[in-house]
Amino acid sequence: MSAAALPAAGASSANASRGVLLMLLLPGLVALVITFLLPLIWLFRASFASSTMGAFSGGDWTVQSYSAVLFDPFYWRVAWNTLVLGFNVAIFAVILSYPIALFLVRTESRFRGVLTALAVAPLLTSSVVRTYGWMVILGDRGVINSTLQSLSLTGGVIRLTNNSFGATVALIEILMPYAILAMLSGFGRLNPQLEEAAAMLGANRVKVFTRIILPLSAPGVLTAALLVFVLAISSFVTPRLMGGGRVFVLGTEVFNEATVTLNWPLAAALSVMLLILFSSIILLYQRALRALET
Amino acid sequence: MADHHVVIDNLVKTYPGAQKPSVDHVSFSLPRGEMLALLGPSGCGKTTILRMIAGLIAPTSGAIRLEGRDVSSIAVYKRNLGMVFQAYALFPHMTVAQNVSFGLEMRKVSRAEREERVRKALDLVKLTGLGDRKVNQLSGGQQQRAAIARSLVIEPELLLLDEPLSNLDAKLRDEMRDEIRDIQARTGVTAIFVTHDQDEALSMADRLAVMSAGRLEQVGTPREIFDRPQTEFVASFIGAGTFFEGRVAEPGLAVVEGLKPLRFVGEAPVGSMVKLMIRPHRLVLAGSSGLPNSFTGTVEHIVYRGQMLTLNVRCGGRLLQADLPTHAGVLPEKGSEVTLAVAPQDVTLVGQVAP
Repeated sequence: MSAAALPAAGASSANASRGVLLMLLLPGLVALVITFLLPLIWLFRASFASSTMGAFSGGDWTVQSYSAVLFDPFYWRVAWNTLVLGFNVAIFAVILSYPIALFLVRTESRFRGVLTALAVAPLLTSSVVRTYGWMVILGDRGVINSTLQSLSLTGGVIRLTNNSFGATVALIEILMPYAILAMLSGFGRLNPQLEEAAAMLGANRVKVFTRIILPLSAPGVLTAALLVFVLAISSFVTPRLMGGGRVFVLGTEVFNEATVTLNWPLAAALSVMLLILFSSIILLYQRALRALET
Repeated sequence: MADHHVVIDNLVKTYPGAQKPSVDHVSFSLPRGEMLALLGPSGCGKTTILRMIAGLIAPTSGAIRLEGRDVSSIAVYKRNLGMVFQAYALFPHMTVAQNVSFGLEMRKVSRAEREERVRKALDLVKLTGLGDRKVNQLSGGQQQRAAIARSLVIEPELLLLDEPLSNLDAKLRDEMRDEIRDIQARTGVTAIFVTHDQDEALSMADRLAVMSAGRLEQVGTPREIFDRPQTEFVASFIGAGTFFEGRVAEPGLAVVEGLKPLRFVGEAPVGSMVKLMIRPHRLVLAGSSGLPNSFTGTVEHIVYRGQMLTLNVRCGGRLLQADLPTHAGVLPEKGSEVTLAVAPQDVTLVGQVAP
């Protein structure tokens, strides 16, 4: 109202507040440019360089790394493995986290804060440590196999590690806290009163869930799925340790090319392709989210 | 009571760990088509009663009978009651029409019939043509109307409204008050609404049930509640008034310290202590009124309200509040002496005082 009455003063104060906003953004922007944008540009440039052992020579531009990746069926398989791993991890992490997040949002227990902290407490330990934990559980002489054998339920060893199964299981558990956190913040539209209203209109518990809770929690579920998917396809420690060198995903291959084979341009090209994968997934996500919310 | 449509019988709710019940042996009943207001200050248990009737919380003991059938153990989704929530609780992911249609879908009503009934319900609440809107594209008053349409389209046994006007601004509130009353009258649905606003209760309801601290204080028509409050709480919660304590000297006459004996109408044993109340607008300038009860005192405070002049008269050590019509001849001024009078039937006996 005051802006309408005093347009000049309103405009200048808007300008001033925009200036303040920019000033507030500046430190973050500078940090982002230095730590994110510049390395990204460097990565992009490196992916077009010719491969030299363990170094990066500027100057020439070549697409040899890209053609090496695109014409090698191995990398197509790696990309496929990565997508499958990401989808599996995202789906199971979301399915397992959904009831927990739903409980934490809806409970009236006074321990709600403690329970929420407990649910995300695994984030306090390194994912490497937790991966080793899973190796102890799933290993050939691990808890599961030795229990099964001592009960004489199985003849031989069931392979649970050194394959994509182990990597998937460990990643699901490691990424579940992120899924829970994303859902907790994404369940804002859930409201017990809406469920009561639906019940008053004749909806039983199943109908309340399918018609009210599920659609209203869908944006949170989608966000959680995206987050877990992105974290899963970019992970390399867990697939590498749990895969025992037999699971090839983009993350492990980038690591390999950069530190073992020392083919930095190839590693850079793989990273750029991972980035393209991310971007397209995020675009899909935004489209899906818009469809859900309108 | 047997022919009553809705009967609330000795309803009790004690929450686990609570010292005393939130709802304490409350009984009342409604004939078909009546609108009853559950009125009381916040925390008096009125919303708890509404939610027990709805089936959203289980009573500790007592019965809720609809057409003589106890429904207190029937699941909420099978009770066929309509409820308008305080914050409307419209489903944000559905259109207005989908919201209204929801209850019909749950009842497996055919699509053609659903569309017809939704259209009629929207017409009833004057939302014609707004069915395709999203809920968040509606104003507060329109959301209220949509919520009413949604609860009425299922043709409920009973309509429950939780503080129906509290989320609306003052102008809209008056409009919706008449609107709700009109819709209820046209559909003939039996309705109970909860409110803490006495004006709302007096103007909308056929009868009021006034509650305090979990107990029912009085049930009656707005007039009975206002003119013949049976307890001190009801008298003080609804409308203004000046209270006196006195000893009954003879039937219909109480001796009040510092004042002339007060004549009142009501049954109280001689010798007992009673509480009496006089509404401000019942007091008149004594002049030639010839009324037996009179008070002489000094005008301490005066507020001009257009049609009404509100006086605070210091009389025998206490303040007496009086509303005089401004056309009542020569009006008293601040600091002047004035004699006010009141008829015995306007001195209301509101309770006995424990000796």
